[in-house]
Amino acid sequence: MCARKTMNSRRDFLKQMSGAALAAGAAPSLLTGALPQGQSVEFPGEDGMVLRSFRFVDLETPVEYFNTWLTPVPHFFVRNHMYEPAQLDAPDWRLSVGGEVEKPLTLSLAEFSKLETHSVVNTLECAGNGRSLHRPQVPGIQWGKGAVSTARFSGPRLRDVLERAGVKPTGKHVMFRGLDEVPGKVPPFIRSIPIEKAFNSDTLIATHMNGSPLTKHHGYPARALVPGWIGAASCKWLSEIKLLDAEFVGNFMNPAYRFPNQPVQPGDAVKPEDTHPLTALSVKSVIAGPSDGASLKVGKVAVHGAAWSGEADIMKVEISTDGGTTWNPAKLGHEQAHYAWRLWSYDWKATKSGDYIILARATDSQGRTQPSTPVWNPSGYLYNAVDQVKIRVA
Amino acid sequence: MDGPVVVPDAKKLLARGFATLALLLLLAAAPFSALAQKPADASVVAELPAGAMQGKANAACLECHEARIILQQRLSKAAWTKEVDKMMKWGALVDPADRDALIDYLSANFSPDQPAYDPQRTSEKTGSAKSSK
Repeated sequence: MCARKTMNSRRDFLKQMSGAALAAGAAPSLLTGALPQGQSVEFPGEDGMVLRSFRFVDLETPVEYFNTWLTPVPHFFVRNHMYEPAQLDAPDWRLSVGGEVEKPLTLSLAEFSKLETHSVVNTLECAGNGRSLHRPQVPGIQWGKGAVSTARFSGPRLRDVLERAGVKPTGKHVMFRGLDEVPGKVPPFIRSIPIEKAFNSDTLIATHMNGSPLTKHHGYPARALVPGWIGAASCKWLSEIKLLDAEFVGNFMNPAYRFPNQPVQPGDAVKPEDTHPLTALSVKSVIAGPSDGASLKVGKVAVHGAAWSGEADIMKVEISTDGGTTWNPAKLGHEQAHYAWRLWSYDWKATKSGDYIILARATDSQGRTQPSTPVWNPSGYLYNAVDQVKIRVA
Repeated sequence: MDGPVVVPDAKKLLARGFATLALLLLLAAAPFSALAQKPADASVVAELPAGAMQGKANAACLECHEARIILQQRLSKAAWTKEVDKMMKWGALVDPADRDALIDYLSANFSPDQPAYDPQRTSEKTGSAKSSK
């Protein structure tokens, strides 16, 4: 595999700087230069994103960008659990398939690229999207509403690769390992999905996003794409697939990315044995415009946004402009795909000046509707309460 | 945010000048791929709030991740205790004698009653498509 030696930690960073700055005795403050808030940060390839973390990279899509069905890659949210691979050279990349299979395989990118390609438009959402809106607050990246985006992902079907290796009857779960570089004693980012989802014809090993090769932030050269499921299922920088007889045992399957089996009171602790792994996303809509806190003039107001529901279809989005007393149907956009969000819009005539709360709520093909209050859980996953913005009409 | 924001004084601005120089030298020496994960300019580096534990928190926490991951949290002391213990298990170097003081420092600066965190944005490209609806 490619060289793993890298400069990850702050200590390495300081070591590398030692010849220059440390000799000048200025290093401690060099690395902690004060920062005027509000100043934007240069970030090649990324455009106007909300900076949740620079090291490691976590970038949120501002909701005002939810105005195209496919999200341009520079606007597509980025969630990294740890460091990106320092070196990724296409000629050196290999994908191994092993475990409970008849013929373990190792594929180069050239061999991999010969496999038949399939495309899926998928809305990818981080399980922690909306975490900052939970009360009491819970630890983790404090995502607002924008850890979600939609793209056309293309690449070989996972099923085709698994069939080449020949899955034994004992192969019940498919483990993904990525090339994420692990700091300290942090457990490696390894997760698994059940064999049924792995054999779904829409589950891919994606190499392309919106027609272009994956960028490094999105998992170049190949990532799992598990459509309709939480983003963490779609392991980036994929290097190893292993068939297991049971769910993978490790931090990112348990205790992370699990949800309480029974409703819990906000603030309650939950035992790991009373939880299950997160899989498909929940029904959800988000208002992209008008922006929260906007001041508008009396007249026509275009209320618009996006709605999605993992493995289900969006059946309707309803809008209330009177704080939830009355609801009116929004118009759903023409562009649709099974795992993709629907854009929606509602033309509202604001006839009187005043303060308004605009609400949006989606209902899906399984009859699920967004709850009016958030479903609190200890790690702040799957926030999907009815969305709202407060505006002033003058 | 009140806590972590420090107005740059002359000494720090001078230090940032040195930092830029140092980072430019570093840019020349290090592989680009490694730097892609590092701030390319000292101005993007956020810092933890002043306090007796600032230095030890820098050493323990910022070894593996940057300050913004801490600055954005609003947690009770019980939740900070769990986080610190988890991170120590994951390799954060904290002298056991400093554990309680570190928890107190984080709880005092990043409690639920602190004002909401105001994140920065990455620069916008000229002419990028933005919502105008």
